[in-house]
Amino acid sequence: MMRRSIRTPFAKLVPSIVGILVGIAVITAGFFTWRVLLPARVGRNTKIVVIFKSTDPSIVFWQIVEAGVRTASKELGVDVRVMGPKEEKDVNAQIEMLDRVAREHPAAIVLAADDQDALVPAAERVRASGIKLITIDSGLAGDISSSFIATDNEAAAEKAGRLTVRLLRRRGSVAIISYVKGTTTAIQRELGVKRVLERYPGIRLIGTYYSQDLANEAYRITRNLLTRRHDVDALIALNEVATVGAANALADLHLKDKVDLIGFDNSPIEIRYLESGVVKGIVLQKPFNIGYLGVSTAVKLLKGERVPRRIDTGSLLVTRENMFGRESQKLLFPLINGKE
Amino acid sequence: MRDRTFGAFSGLQATVAFTLFSLVFIAVVVVEVVSYNLTEETVAANSKSYTLQLMGEAGQNIDGYITYMKNISSVIMYDHEVESYFADNNETEKTKVTGLLDAIKRTRKDINLIALFGLDGKVVSDRNRLDLNPYVKPDSLLWYRAALRANGNPVISPSHVQFVLDKQRRWVISLSREIYDYRTGSPIAVLLVDLNFSVIRNICANIDLGSRGYVFIVDSGGTIIYHPQQQLIYSNLKQERINEVLTVKGSSFAAGSGKDRRIYTISTSSETGWKIVGVTYVGNLVSDKEFIQIYYLLLGVACFTVVVMLSLLVSFRISRPIRLLTRSMQEVESGNFDIKVKVASSDEIGNLAAKFNLMISKIRELMLQNVREHEAKRRAELQALQAQINPHFLYNTLDSVIWMAEAKKHGEVVKMVSSLAKLLRLTISSGNEIVTIREEIDQITNYLIIQKMRYRDKLDYRIDVDENIHHNRILKILLQPLVENSIYHGIKNKKEGGTVQVLGRRVGSRVLIQIVDDGVGADPERMRDILSSCSEGAEESVDDTNGVGVRNVHERIRLYFGNDYGLVFRPSEGSGTTVDVWLPILE
Repeated sequence: MMRRSIRTPFAKLVPSIVGILVGIAVITAGFFTWRVLLPARVGRNTKIVVIFKSTDPSIVFWQIVEAGVRTASKELGVDVRVMGPKEEKDVNAQIEMLDRVAREHPAAIVLAADDQDALVPAAERVRASGIKLITIDSGLAGDISSSFIATDNEAAAEKAGRLTVRLLRRRGSVAIISYVKGTTTAIQRELGVKRVLERYPGIRLIGTYYSQDLANEAYRITRNLLTRRHDVDALIALNEVATVGAANALADLHLKDKVDLIGFDNSPIEIRYLESGVVKGIVLQKPFNIGYLGVSTAVKLLKGERVPRRIDTGSLLVTRENMFGRESQKLLFPLINGKE
Repeated sequence: MRDRTFGAFSGLQATVAFTLFSLVFIAVVVVEVVSYNLTEETVAANSKSYTLQLMGEAGQNIDGYITYMKNISSVIMYDHEVESYFADNNETEKTKVTGLLDAIKRTRKDINLIALFGLDGKVVSDRNRLDLNPYVKPDSLLWYRAALRANGNPVISPSHVQFVLDKQRRWVISLSREIYDYRTGSPIAVLLVDLNFSVIRNICANIDLGSRGYVFIVDSGGTIIYHPQQQLIYSNLKQERINEVLTVKGSSFAAGSGKDRRIYTISTSSETGWKIVGVTYVGNLVSDKEFIQIYYLLLGVACFTVVVMLSLLVSFRISRPIRLLTRSMQEVESGNFDIKVKVASSDEIGNLAAKFNLMISKIRELMLQNVREHEAKRRAELQALQAQINPHFLYNTLDSVIWMAEAKKHGEVVKMVSSLAKLLRLTISSGNEIVTIREEIDQITNYLIIQKMRYRDKLDYRIDVDENIHHNRILKILLQPLVENSIYHGIKNKKEGGTVQVLGRRVGSRVLIQIVDDGVGADPERMRDILSSCSEGAEESVDDTNGVGVRNVHERIRLYFGNDYGLVFRPSEGSGTTVDVWLPILE
């Protein structure tokens, strides 16, 4: 009893000392967990796969999208892989690709759909396996992706329509050279153009022609159209390939002063036609922004942040008059990682 | 009670430990926070001046390029061949001008193009064949128009795309300058020097400002010349704090918070008015911040561990002597005076312990003295008692002598008186209190002879003591009171009389002397009373002087030899009483 009375203060202190030390240890451990583990949740090991509509190297649009993707990947420190079918019309190849990628189970997939309906079942399978799905440029029916990042195609097409009306001084016949029938963007752009043209009784729409996303086909259609009938005052080409094909035909027929061509998207050939006056104006999308935002939105989603269902990346109309200005230069000749 | 209050957490040790720990804890936390912030501030300040130095160097670098371009323009401006070619339409000069421009261009790899655009449409450049863009007229381009407005001063056009060449679309920085005919003072051409944009990019990209830091350049109008994320800014995906860069007074400002807190350090190029801006993130100024944090944390943990141990040690050392003292006091309280507190320290507690020891030894001394005095008194009393011969016995003996003398039994009178004389002599012989067992046996024999003559047939006795112990020593007059007791209380009351035996032998390491009678047997209660009522002043009945004698024997043995020895009363086999006298072996 006497001995215990000597020991008691010590014995009673021991738990509190152990408590203090354990407390310090827990705080230290918590600190490290917070500093080291949490930021690692989205990082170098986070795999994101980006699937384009096409990997055709002649299409500049997707190259700039890829530049945006790479910039975001580098800046946000995530592992990004880019792929896509050779040709845009090969919808089955893209479905197969999506299924294969889903089996690898990346954290997120950023998809530019070749067909808004055909890709839906595969996209549903992706979502069901817990992979985050973001669509860029061309979306899916039923709005099944977490976020859709694209040009507001109707608004962009309206710009092309308004330029046409201005060039024709509200009077003349217009033909539309589209690409793949049924494609969402093609439908929306046609809609945008028509909405503007229909407001002017002096403007007559001859028709819409589908080039199947082949420059040769666009060339053939344009050539046939212009040689068969002579009342065509303006052509509106709804994408890069259609614009190049139509411009080639126009140049060959030496009709650049008689027929106004208004196109879409940015490529060196189009810029040259714009300089030479074959193309009167092009509506630029912002492919760099589309690619960058596609990846950065996927990362935000993985971090648990809220993302908007729809992001409009905007468009810009470039004509011969404003193409040498700074704003146009920035879009026409993107500086990728500081490179010309 | 005492243990509980002492053992409770509010004890001295706990108080000292807690106070000490709390004080040092607060001190450590304060020191750590202050020195951490100082470290961070120092690192930030160092980084700021370092960054400013880097920006200054970059600015000088850029100024070097611009100065070089201006020098080129001056060389060309005052060249006679140039003047001759454009003003005098001297076609033969064309190859000479081309040679000059080519020679200048060859000196620097970073120059993209040197060309002269005559106001009349003639063009001469650093190469023999120059493919110009057929669709773009030079006079529609910004650098051309700016040169015309500048009255012969060189104009720097910040990063832009050069459209003037066919199929080549490069990002360049242009110097353009109007060339005059110095004879007439009228303008004749516009000079263009294109510096590759990558020059600026390399200057900026080679500056290392940590993993997230970067360098960018804006001109005085706020147009971005170079930015590592130029396309992101062009695409409006990122904003840069250009307004603040242009308006801030001093060389730096801070922006953002938390992880994005960063410092903008600005240096202005004197040739161009461009602002070279270094952006450093406070979070990874030097990649050390995390290291510093961990370092301070570990230092803190180590400090706390040491503090906990030290405060325990100190509090233990302070409270231990007090606890020792308290324990000793408790022991004293429970009756043990044979202790000494061992406290070596020379402080107040040590002093207290020394005083305590002194006090205890005083008390012990007083108690010993008390015991000694008490003992001496007892011994004196006992000696007085022992010297007494029971007057009854003396009277009875002398009565018997008278009676025998009247009957003229001279022989018996002589025997009795001589026995009495021997008995008295042994009794009163002063000096040694300790005698041999033989002497004691002689004495008891004389006593028994007298009693035998008085009681005649009623009393028999037998003495049988082992020869081996005859030389051993014993207290004087030890056995007589016991034999007397046997006779008076055992045999005297028995009609047919009885025998008293005195037996002696060694048992183990002790001597046992037994007084055995076969008398009526003593009342056991009385025997116990005699032995137990040792206390002083107990009531003693006059007729029981013999009881006093027996008790005296018991007490004397114990007084001399300790409590292991003494008397034991028990009934004899058959009838009567046996007294066992246990003694030490005294040689």
